[in-house]
Amino acid sequence: MSFERSEPNEQSEAGDPNRPPAWRPQLHRRDVLRGGLYTAAGLGVASLLSACNNDSGATPASGADYPLARPDDPVTLPIFDDNQPIGDGLKVEDTGALKVLNYADYMAPGVKKDFGEKYGVEVQVTPYNNYDEMLNKLNAPGAAFDLVFPGPSVLSRMVYGKLLQPLNRSYLPNLKNAWPEYQDPWYDQKSNYTVPYTVYTTGIGYRADRIDNADEQGYMMIWNGDYKGKVGVLDDAGESLAMAMLAWGITGDINTANQDYVNQARDKLIELIDLVDVKIDITQYETIATGKFTVHQAWSGDLIAGQYYVAPGVSPDVLGFWQPKATPDRTVGNDNIAIPKSSPSPVLAHTFLNYILDNDVSLKNFGWNGYQPPLTKLSANYLIDNGYVPENLLDAVVVLKDFDQAKQFYEVPVAVQNMWLTAFQEFQSGGS
Amino acid sequence: MAEVELRPVEDVKPGKDRATRFLWPSLAIPGTVWLILLFVVPFYGIMAVAFSSQLDILGQPIPVWNPLHWNFAVMQDVISESFSGTYRSAWEHTFVYCGLAMAICILVGYPVAYYVARLAGRRRGLLLALILAPWWINYLTRMLAWVGLLGDEGYVNKFLGWFGVAPVDWLAGNWYVVVIALAYGYLPFFIIPLYAFLDRIDQRHIEASRDLGANSVRTFFRVTLPMSRIGLITSIVITALPMFGDYYTNTLVSNSPKTVMVGNSIEKSVQAGFSRAQGSSLVLLLSAVLLIFMAYYLVLTVRSSKEPR
Repeated sequence: MSFERSEPNEQSEAGDPNRPPAWRPQLHRRDVLRGGLYTAAGLGVASLLSACNNDSGATPASGADYPLARPDDPVTLPIFDDNQPIGDGLKVEDTGALKVLNYADYMAPGVKKDFGEKYGVEVQVTPYNNYDEMLNKLNAPGAAFDLVFPGPSVLSRMVYGKLLQPLNRSYLPNLKNAWPEYQDPWYDQKSNYTVPYTVYTTGIGYRADRIDNADEQGYMMIWNGDYKGKVGVLDDAGESLAMAMLAWGITGDINTANQDYVNQARDKLIELIDLVDVKIDITQYETIATGKFTVHQAWSGDLIAGQYYVAPGVSPDVLGFWQPKATPDRTVGNDNIAIPKSSPSPVLAHTFLNYILDNDVSLKNFGWNGYQPPLTKLSANYLIDNGYVPENLLDAVVVLKDFDQAKQFYEVPVAVQNMWLTAFQEFQSGGS
Repeated sequence: MAEVELRPVEDVKPGKDRATRFLWPSLAIPGTVWLILLFVVPFYGIMAVAFSSQLDILGQPIPVWNPLHWNFAVMQDVISESFSGTYRSAWEHTFVYCGLAMAICILVGYPVAYYVARLAGRRRGLLLALILAPWWINYLTRMLAWVGLLGDEGYVNKFLGWFGVAPVDWLAGNWYVVVIALAYGYLPFFIIPLYAFLDRIDQRHIEASRDLGANSVRTFFRVTLPMSRIGLITSIVITALPMFGDYYTNTLVSNSPKTVMVGNSIEKSVQAGFSRAQGSSLVLLLSAVLLIFMAYYLVLTVRSSKEPR
């Protein structure tokens, strides 16, 4: 791709003596590929909404157009004058529908139905496979959604791009049910824009009846030609490239802006095309259980949900979830729920947020989608004791301390994001 | 389906009747409006994205509507990547798969069309209905049926199992499965126009050939085949245009990076926000390639309609 600077940036940059002028006129895709850190540092400003720079308390880091939150550098997302939260005590709208932009099968049909009946609306879900697709659908002209499920790695740019509206906490008394850390999270201090939805870790889902040395093999289950035709990776640039990095010894930073590292990871993924006939999708919660896949990169919730997809009469013991033993080597993540600025029914959307944060509703949701809600009452022990997690999948349960030590995807500048996405697309295209 | 006899407008004698002078051109209004709204405007939109050089805060291209500000860097990049990079295998797959699928269509479809048009006799209506029957079923459903047939525990593998053949991983990204699925999907589109054309070949030409001593094989190759050339090309064009842009057939029966076609690259690029400009550029390139086919076809039909019959 190429970038050409828009006028306001031209000016703001002229005053900055630290910027390398070399790439000024245009930047071609190949240059982005080669540029690595250099582009990461410089390019983030290319599409800057210049007005945003002064609005935030946190100074945008590393040349990005938006603050890059980190656990040790939390961010309070600004509430803009032209994008205010709804007022207190409003009546629920009568639009007849709650329009949800979400992963497929990420919310229990029972929960949707109950909510729909309670408020006389139909819950309509538009699915996406990854955040990039989500942003595309949300950003499309005329798009109107009431709910969306962003993780911390896309949040800041969505707020600064004014795709989300600030929340009015007076509608959300149930937020007190969440882990205290998620009532004031590092990526959205004061919960200005999000409430927590799920927590998960990323690992390898496998068929325990076909593989008996998963711990020995670890990530190499994916690169094992014995499982040819039955191997999949997540249709997600960050997850799949990061897995390739971790599997092949690039363990420093899964948010790296180093082009070489990304390219090496890409090439390792491309190897999979011939080695194992790799598939790229996010159907693993179902397809490991049905046996279509022997090994598939997976989120922990997929395996817990997998117990509901195994054929009648088959024990959930056939499901296995592997992740590195040491917590610092693991990859954890969390998804949130936010309300798009385009929401036709913001009061209804707030009502849903409060609804899903209810302990019972959330438990019902977990009992179907397998993704743990970070609610205090629904602790790991509680879920296990109540039989929601089979013995063989105890490893797929996430606890709070995982988030202190494990790796997480953080928000990065646009140029770094697009570098990862480009590498992933080259893998998807067959990598010629 | 082939050429329609177009009468020159002059034949209508304009001016004779004032009402009809405006009536005839006005009949073109609905079609023109339709074309502008649903083709020209969206196509311009694709160009506005393809030739954009600015990204918004999300890293997605901002459409540039003013042609004076168009930037062709992405297009140049996509063209060079088409010859020697990311998109090269997609183009190769597209040409090879579509070519092979077309060959299957011709080998299977021509005899069928010929039989129905010339030899079926009273059974013609029934046969036509059978050929059209797949059209009663949604294309996606028919393709999903293949997924059921070719799945790991599908009927094909079960059938092979009876003969002791180990199950084959048909859907793991095999080019021949994609080719067969394409040919299967588009075969009816190929047969029907060809049938219509073969049906209109004047029987007297064939009788003349036989009278002059040619046997039936020779008659076919010297008379029927040359006379059906335009019909054959019409069928090929009608089938090729959608086949070149097809992506869901491939997605359903393969969904593997091994068999990516241009349609798949376009779908991926357009669904992703960050590479919409690349996707739009690919759309324009594909349109340009198909335009070459189309132009060749138009030249042929114009030329043949000038030939004395």
